[in-house]
Amino acid sequence: MRLSRIAGEGVRALAAHKLRTFFMMVGTIVGIAALTVILAIGKGTQREVMKSVNAFGARLIKINAGGGKGYTKPQPGVVTLKLEDADAIRSAITGWDIVTCVAQKGAVPAKAGDRQCETAVFAVDSDWHEAMEWPAKEGEEIAPEDLATMAHVCVLGTRLAKTLFGEDNPVGSDIQIGNVRFRVKGVLIHHDASPGGEDENHRVVIPLTTGLRRLYNQNHLTYIRVRMKNADDVPATAEQIRRLLHERHHVTPPETDDFSIVTAKEVADAARGISGTLTALLAALAGLGLLVGGVVMMNILLISVTERTREIGLRRALGATRQAIFVQFLTESLSVTVIGAVFGGALGWGVSVLLPRFVKVITVISWEPFALAVVFALGVGLIFGVQPARRAARLHPVEALR
Amino acid sequence: MIELEGIEKTYDSGGVVTPVLRGVSFRVGAGEYVAIMGTSGTGKTTLMNILGCLDKPTRGRYSFEGTDMIALDDDTLSHFRNHKIGFVFQQFDLLERTTALKNVMLPLLYADEYPDDAQERAEKALAAVGLADRVHYKPNQLSGGQQQRVAIARALINNPHLLLADEPTGNLDSKSGTEILAIFKQLNREGRTIILVTHDQAVAEHANRIITLKDGTIADDRAVAQPHDAEAELAIFSKGENR
Repeated sequence: MRLSRIAGEGVRALAAHKLRTFFMMVGTIVGIAALTVILAIGKGTQREVMKSVNAFGARLIKINAGGGKGYTKPQPGVVTLKLEDADAIRSAITGWDIVTCVAQKGAVPAKAGDRQCETAVFAVDSDWHEAMEWPAKEGEEIAPEDLATMAHVCVLGTRLAKTLFGEDNPVGSDIQIGNVRFRVKGVLIHHDASPGGEDENHRVVIPLTTGLRRLYNQNHLTYIRVRMKNADDVPATAEQIRRLLHERHHVTPPETDDFSIVTAKEVADAARGISGTLTALLAALAGLGLLVGGVVMMNILLISVTERTREIGLRRALGATRQAIFVQFLTESLSVTVIGAVFGGALGWGVSVLLPRFVKVITVISWEPFALAVVFALGVGLIFGVQPARRAARLHPVEALR
Repeated sequence: MIELEGIEKTYDSGGVVTPVLRGVSFRVGAGEYVAIMGTSGTGKTTLMNILGCLDKPTRGRYSFEGTDMIALDDDTLSHFRNHKIGFVFQQFDLLERTTALKNVMLPLLYADEYPDDAQERAEKALAAVGLADRVHYKPNQLSGGQQQRVAIARALINNPHLLLADEPTGNLDSKSGTEILAIFKQLNREGRTIILVTHDQAVAEHANRIITLKDGTIADDRAVAQPHDAEAELAIFSKGENR
């Protein structure tokens, strides 16, 4: 109770010297504001990364034809990824759920009656629909018999269906892909835009065997998708597949791979880009700013102790103990930083809300940065307040009154 | 009440030892009104600091109401100052930007128990020095004499046994100074022990006893046969104004 009254003296001194208080506070305000904004941006980025990872699938391992590092795309000219690789993967690894093969070609001419356009062609295994979680909304999906018989059947994406057939139901009609005739057996459900922003509905899906033998006349794949039962197995299995393919393709590191493996990790890294490092760097800078603010505050407080030497002497004469003087001055510094943290937090919150309207960033506001701000502020107030408070408390009453 | 015996104080600044007090001994009984006189550099302020428990002598004995002050630690002395001694300084030493009321309440902050009637007590103390209508004024809105009266109210708020005043009239015009001395006279009549430190003979003559310091020792210690009557002097002032 006595201490809280003495602490009240510290707060009163701040209120009585508003300009001085403002100068002491400004470093904390700016530092805390910057910190909360940066953390909000960091959290926004993190959420985008999670979105990308979820869109890709945490259980997925994608083996692309053609080398490269990170989040690669399959390379059309590379012919070394084969059906036999997929079979080898199926038998060599455990814990997989679906291993499905895709041979893809872009910009293939497609025609129905007098309407024509170019389309992406996906020659796929029959479990592709399940692997992609992309069923047909009308008609039927690609079935195992279609692969066995190299049937000339296809399933259309909604955009392609609309381009070739307008509002008519295309199921049962014939279309020409390249020079080959296919019967439309179904239409895929509509997919919303991918995270990359491409329209995935402008495509046609045909049986893998038909695609390789009858349409493309090739025996290499574009990519293999491996879906694991358990997301935790992905990193180890990806390495296992890498070693398997090194062996099968006679690649000896450091020779360049003729394939690349993409998992959620590569996707996350790509989505995070440099922003993760940047966030950490900026947060460190904001923290540094806070420390500089603390040093400024300490200097002002030290000057204030010198200016108020007489006042300290008077208080000692009136019965203040060293501890009472210490508490009063420490309260000043703690109040400056904590009140500064409140203002800075409010400022940071405001900026976090407004910033996405002007700049292309995503901010997510959560309570953690504000709790962190108060803890930081208390720490700075304590670290940089102790020295001035101690100097004030150590003044000898006689010296102070001289 | 107060017993000083063989008080010595030397200052040591970088090997140069300067003696300020060289064996000062005297007693002050309860209810006395004593002036300590001397020209500057005779050790008045040092003696006052020791009497006020702000400083300790290098040698000697000091007891206050039977308590040996030399042995007490800093916290105990702070506590002692808070409730036994009231200080009045030459520069008034009020907190700026703080009302008279809050200034008077300041010592209560450092008391063991914060009284529930703190504000009433402060108001009463201000009324006692004739400032009932200036309670919410800040120092810069008060005259020097009024500021010193606030300081006296502050010194009395904890009802101390000893009032210690260091050149209380030094920064005041003679009329305001006389008003302060009239208040001291009144307080002494009510039984308060007062020690007044001054270099001014005319001020010292208001006390009942004058101890004169010279070169760190007591040169003279005498009762004042006919102390000056501040109230009578004030009457002359007001007569002068009426004329």
